Amino acid sequence: MSTVALKEEDSHTHDHHHKESFVSKYIFSMDHKMISKQFLITGIIMGVIGMGMSMLFRLQLAWPDEQFGILEMLLGKWAVDGKLDPNFYMGLVTIHGTIMVFYVLTAGLSGTFSNLLIPLQVGARDMASPFLNMLSYWFFFLSSVVLLSSVFVETGPASAGWTVYPPLSALEKAVPGSGLGMTLWLVAIALFIVSALFGGINYISTVLNMRTKGMSMNRMPLTIWAFLFTAILGVLSFPVLLGASLFLIFDRSFGTSFYLSDIYLDGIGALENVGGSPVLYQHLFWFLGHPEVYIILLPALGITSEVISTNARKPIFGYSAMVISLASISFLSFIVWGHHMFITGMNPFLGSVFMILTLIIAVPSAVKAFNYLATLWRGNLRLTPAMLFSIGLVSFFISGGLTGIYLGNAALDIQMHDSYFVVAHFHLVMGSAAIFGMMAGIYHWFPRMYGRMMNDTLGYFHFWITFITAYLVFFPMHFMGLAGVPRRYYQFTLMEDFSIWGDVNKLITVASLVGGFAQILFLYNFFNSIFRGKKSAQNPWQSNTLEWTSPIEVRLHGNWPKELPTVYRGPYEYSRPDRVEDFFPQHIKDEGFPEILITTESKVAPKKVVLEEPSNVFFTAIKRIFGLSR
Amino acid sequence: MKILSRTLTFNILIKKLLILLVGSFVTLLSHAQAATNVIEPPKEFDPSSWNWVNIFIIVLVLLIVLVIARAFDIGGLAEKISGRKIVSSHKINGYVSLVVLILGLFGVWWELVNHGKFLLLWDAAAEHGADLDSMFMWTFGFTFVVFIITEILLFYFLFRYHYKEDRKADYYFHNNKLEIMWTIIPAIVLTFLVLRGFTVWTKITQTPNKDAQEIEIFGYQFGWKARYAGEDKLLGESSFTLISGTNPLGLAVESEATTLKLSLESEILDLKSILASSPDSIRLWRAALNNMESKGLSNAYVEEHKLLKEKVLDGESGAYANQIEKDIMRKETNVKRVIAYLSKANIFNKTSYDDRVTTEIILVKNKPYLFLFRARDVIHSAYMPEFRVQMNCVPGMSTVFPFTPIKTTEEARISKGNPAFDYYLYCNKICGSAHYNMKIKIVVLGTESEYQTWMLAQAKVVSPATDAVPTSAKDSISVLPTIVSNP
Repeated sequence: MSTVALKEEDSHTHDHHHKESFVSKYIFSMDHKMISKQFLITGIIMGVIGMGMSMLFRLQLAWPDEQFGILEMLLGKWAVDGKLDPNFYMGLVTIHGTIMVFYVLTAGLSGTFSNLLIPLQVGARDMASPFLNMLSYWFFFLSSVVLLSSVFVETGPASAGWTVYPPLSALEKAVPGSGLGMTLWLVAIALFIVSALFGGINYISTVLNMRTKGMSMNRMPLTIWAFLFTAILGVLSFPVLLGASLFLIFDRSFGTSFYLSDIYLDGIGALENVGGSPVLYQHLFWFLGHPEVYIILLPALGITSEVISTNARKPIFGYSAMVISLASISFLSFIVWGHHMFITGMNPFLGSVFMILTLIIAVPSAVKAFNYLATLWRGNLRLTPAMLFSIGLVSFFISGGLTGIYLGNAALDIQMHDSYFVVAHFHLVMGSAAIFGMMAGIYHWFPRMYGRMMNDTLGYFHFWITFITAYLVFFPMHFMGLAGVPRRYYQFTLMEDFSIWGDVNKLITVASLVGGFAQILFLYNFFNSIFRGKKSAQNPWQSNTLEWTSPIEVRLHGNWPKELPTVYRGPYEYSRPDRVEDFFPQHIKDEGFPEILITTESKVAPKKVVLEEPSNVFFTAIKRIFGLSR
Repeated sequence: MKILSRTLTFNILIKKLLILLVGSFVTLLSHAQAATNVIEPPKEFDPSSWNWVNIFIIVLVLLIVLVIARAFDIGGLAEKISGRKIVSSHKINGYVSLVVLILGLFGVWWELVNHGKFLLLWDAAAEHGADLDSMFMWTFGFTFVVFIITEILLFYFLFRYHYKEDRKADYYFHNNKLEIMWTIIPAIVLTFLVLRGFTVWTKITQTPNKDAQEIEIFGYQFGWKARYAGEDKLLGESSFTLISGTNPLGLAVESEATTLKLSLESEILDLKSILASSPDSIRLWRAALNNMESKGLSNAYVEEHKLLKEKVLDGESGAYANQIEKDIMRKETNVKRVIAYLSKANIFNKTSYDDRVTTEIILVKNKPYLFLFRARDVIHSAYMPEFRVQMNCVPGMSTVFPFTPIKTTEEARISKGNPAFDYYLYCNKICGSAHYNMKIKIVVLGTESEYQTWMLAQAKVVSPATDAVPTSAKDSISVLPTIVSNP
């Protein structure tokens, strides 16, 4: 009783909080809901920039000999006579990759939804450290500004590809973008890592320590599991990238030779640096780089689990299996980085070890995909835009994931490494899938964020156009890659072998332009709905999770006006046979024993199943695997 | 009623947007076609001259947009007449998903028919390629089946189980048997693929054939060079320190090294004198700049003014002198290293004198090769897709790839039906502004004698007229050439 009293007192102070000024409410806010909106809107802006860049270089690839007046108007000296400069093309490719991977899909996706959902879904008043949370956003913002400023540098933006392999990224004389542009890139990434670490520590401690009464780990929504694993991955792997970029900064500015050895440059002569190894950088980079793929993908998968279950009005199939596959994917992601380096001259035996570990990841991934299908089977699918985007994610996850089996195979990688096949693979499985997860999250939790609904019709158009064009863009790339077309080429007309792909390149560009412009539908819908959308009901999707119990109309720092809700069951109790409604929120107490299950025969709901409340997810799952339970 | 009018205005808005979108799309396409001149004006009815790709996309996009638009239109109209919701958006989306599924399958089929023949470029031109290709076909078989089945299920479920108010979903949340099944089956398939991949990979990368001929492939910004051993069958030693204008690969040639040493020394002297006179020159530049600005010429000569100003600022801040000092230091290190090499007698053993540096790679069918890769400046990647060969060239690290070509250029031309066809080695690691144009031609000849004829026509690194014939140096260095470590 005393704890309840304490909580009431707590909420009391929250209710009559001091009046917030504009700055503390909207700018240096410490409310996790506001911070999530800040992350989201910055992410959307970065996304528009990143996508715009991709449309510019797609124009170049489709019509390499064509002059586009608009390019000169936009880019000035980088597109003299309307033809993109090769160095700037590289710069666009680099900045597009960096923005999409780090700024949109790491910060924009995980930053937004971890911030919004972790406190709301575990039943906490805010993050463990709201102040760190605020710093996390502002470091991210600063980092975005620094990164974008690198585009406006006279020598051009960083242009060594988003992986910035030295020596290319270390030597200004090797490519002009490795001058000031590269310095800014490194500073931006360092700031970004600080932001990611602040965020990650916060997410982990909130999930582990601040769950409300009754919210045991095995009653957590899969979103929270996904965010937890994502944060752990980020906290363990981002520091390595920080180290890698610090060494690179030393090599560039202080004459060290971590990554440089035996180099002769035209117009300079032999460099003094000896003894370093460029491959060291690749190891360090991919030690982050591979977990990063899952840092991007796991939150999207978590969001999808939640959205699919809610909209299928059906419990997620195999909750424990989902958690275990998340855990094993996270663990494995740390020991497979070498599959990015099969042909860098790494010891072939090491290559085969990495190949075996890599292909193991396909098993938990397959389990996830099949579980999604099983969740949809015999559901009652509400095809809201969020649901459609989640289905889109599953589709991309399957088609992009399957091509991972080719690339994880060292022998096949000899042929496919750095070809368009790779581009197709990761744009589907990590790019499109994660973007679709993010879109699903936005459409699903928009009412939670702004108290209004987004327009469904526009959402449908947005989904179908984006979905179809995404496949039109990336599916043909598999075939180009298999025919040996290398990625990061400024134009293909100089190579006779690749000129047969001219038409396909045009198709891809046209599809990417249509898909790109279709995002205007989304932008209009999003910003219009913030101000003019239909007012949302308290629980618009009839969802079970706790975020819909916190008042939606008023913005309340502290989330619940009175005491925190108590949780009585797992988050996915949809369409229970003993209930009239097809949902059963976590915080509503079960009145008595479900009589119906004991008396009536039900072919789909055996008696014990409903009552089962696994005390320990892992233990139960292990028991199940060996058939020990029931 | 208010809501109704709102949905109507909304429909109008959507239509306008659609018209805009399709309009811009068509304009763009026509612009593209007119500009690139892809389509000649068809004089007679000849469908093969049409650009089927573009037509296909237009039809596809139009069809999809129309279907969706119609569906929503009908819904809106019916709702307007009856005043209540008749057509649920769930149902429409369910049908759309079915249409998209069918179109998607058609698209996959179309891609396979049109581009399937380019899968892995017909037959591999190297011996290990057959293993790799069969590996690919196995993987392709498995993944394609899974891809088709799961995607069909996914979109069929979307259609089949779309929301109906009078239906309740199954309360079905796990099934041990099913879950074990779809853990074990992928695991078995993957074990198979892993084992196969492991054997193929080991076979390709294992210790090469001892008889294999070694060819050094040298990558630099932006081009490739190949180096063949001469009559002594030995590739001479090389080092990046010895690279100069006349010795682009940095081969161990004594006369070149001596010249390099002398020229570096004179460059250092020049730089030192420039450094000594730098305060004077900076003062002169400042005077010129002031002169220019006072006469108001800075507007007339914008570029010149800018350059001069940069020079003056660099000079006055000390950056100019700093840079010169750095250059001197670097060149002094270089000279020291060259001198150290010159003092080591066994490096200049003349094995490199009869090496041939060529701008084409000439190979002989059915002869085993070991390519040794070396990079001058940044990482390059030697990519020979027809031979299923790829290996990075890393500065400061030697990498190798063994393979045996099994198809001559002539044979490839015949089988591809393209008399102009040639094998190429491309750069496949981003390496700077001309990365997209960094390639070297590979010619596979039928017989050894053709190769010998070609070989004899190539110039030696040091022609016998200017230097003594190299003595055999088999005792002094190992068979595998190593990049000289730095003293």
